[in-house]
Amino acid sequence: MPRAIRGVLITCEPAIKSILLHIDKTQLNNEAIIEDLDDTHLFVKEQMLKTLQSKLDEKLKETYRVEQPLEDSDAEGN
Amino acid sequence: MASTSFAPSSFMLSEYLEKLPGATFRKLYQQPSTAFAIFRRMLPHLAKIYVQALLYMPEPLSVKDLDVWVRPEGKTASNRAIGILRSLHIVSVIQPSKDKPQEIQLTNNFKKSLRLALEGGGSHSSFGVPSRLPVNPEIDIPFLDNWAGKIWQDILYYVVNSVPVRNDSGGGSGYSSQGGPRAAVRELLLMGGLVRRGDGGGVQISEHGFNFLLQEANAQVWTLLLLWLEAADRSKAAAKGGAPVPATSLDNVEMLSFLFMLASLELGRAYDTSALTDTRRNMLPALADFGLIYIDPRNREQYFPTRLATTLTSSSAALRSVSASLDAATKKNPGDAGSLVAGAGVPEENGGIIIETNYRIYAYTSSPLQIAILHLFARLIMRWPNMVSGRLTRESVREAIKDGITANQIISYLAAHAHPQLVRAAAAKGTPVLPATVVDQIRLWQLESERMQPNAGFLFKDFDSVEEYAEMATYAQEIGVLVWKNDRKRHFFVRKVEQLRDWLKARKKGG
Repeated sequence: MPRAIRGVLITCEPAIKSILLHIDKTQLNNEAIIEDLDDTHLFVKEQMLKTLQSKLDEKLKETYRVEQPLEDSDAEGN
Repeated sequence: MASTSFAPSSFMLSEYLEKLPGATFRKLYQQPSTAFAIFRRMLPHLAKIYVQALLYMPEPLSVKDLDVWVRPEGKTASNRAIGILRSLHIVSVIQPSKDKPQEIQLTNNFKKSLRLALEGGGSHSSFGVPSRLPVNPEIDIPFLDNWAGKIWQDILYYVVNSVPVRNDSGGGSGYSSQGGPRAAVRELLLMGGLVRRGDGGGVQISEHGFNFLLQEANAQVWTLLLLWLEAADRSKAAAKGGAPVPATSLDNVEMLSFLFMLASLELGRAYDTSALTDTRRNMLPALADFGLIYIDPRNREQYFPTRLATTLTSSSAALRSVSASLDAATKKNPGDAGSLVAGAGVPEENGGIIIETNYRIYAYTSSPLQIAILHLFARLIMRWPNMVSGRLTRESVREAIKDGITANQIISYLAAHAHPQLVRAAAAKGTPVLPATVVDQIRLWQLESERMQPNAGFLFKDFDSVEEYAEMATYAQEIGVLVWKNDRKRHFFVRKVEQLRDWLKARKKGG
């Protein structure tokens, strides 16, 4: 008899997946991820999704450099 | 409401209906108008054909015979249609026994009611009782359209205006003088998560709110109505306008079937309130708050369904999204609820948005709704009497995306409302209306924030055999719930579990 488990399937790139795994291990006590399905899929607890998402954003902020659009002549800087 | 945290569509009618127990459906289908409305609105084409074929069959049809109708490549579509019919309790499948193969038939109440609806007859008064009293001649179709449009527009404004005011000038202020929707409606929007309470005591639009705004008008009405049904479900004795809102399961059925009945009424006609049951009469004030019906203050014996009500079950494809309906308002096409909503408040709307390759936006408009929508994803800098200007920035677009708006929605909104000059120039040169750099950049901004894609549902694992896995995964694919599978590990992931559970049970019984 197969089992059905409630949760959220996350589809992402392998690089993002390894960051998520790392976050889960170091910051969330292995509480969020139920199963590592394959290179691009993770199975996580529904109630932990928001936390995981915000932690990922935080993490990526450190690595992401934002390119500023060219300023032009109008006075929007104020 | 954890399950709805990223599935705004769960408010939608079909999902609401699918959660109802079979007994509720049996009661619902006692009303011919309900059976007819479900048939018209809820079924895909193929499912309708099956219902029509089965409707006058004296005996159940064996599933094998039904399969003969279907070409092998159509098997998936056929299973999906039957899956929908089963989940709405329109057909029942009789499990095979020794002397009979597996058979399929329409459920009794549905069959009886749909036949009645098609043939007429019966004394069910399920399609409303017209009022015999004299009708105020001022209440004609334009009057009703105007009134319903105003109410609905107020609700939309309320959702849009609840956008947090950012620190730039232009949007968010200057048009808060609206009367706004009734307190009960506001509470409903708050409860349904379309807006949420902000820090400053005011309300903010939520991601559901964004999706709500961009839905077609008809879907918006249903979203609100379903919220209302759910609210009534929850608060058994909540007082609304002094009258207690009854919410036992029977009344729930009453409410739903009343909505379906409203949808079958004729626009511009007066109907008799005294022919309604108490539950239904208690619903009238709330329905008037939504703009679905109009009650003449001088004659409370009559109610008038508005276009919002009479188009409830018409095909959703005929209705427009907010953006498209703003567009439609310019063409003065009074045909559907979408144009009704837009047409009422923004008569001289012309959708004059110019976007330059440097991400600057100029919009020739004075419509508060359009400005408010622009403000959702653009940084507005200046406002003149007939125009606003601003620009798309990474932050403004990402903010919108974070709130649930998609890049495609933004792009199609901009394209649909491009200034005629821009459209003409593009047509002459044979290029797309919007500058390619801007379109690409909006998409890139979205990709940036979509590094993981969540899907709620159920993971199936620990199968006894390869065959069991393969069969079940194929079935899940056929009924359209499969999201992902891994043949090597024998895992798969589905959006919904109910039909698979039934299938497993049937399979177990079968051997």
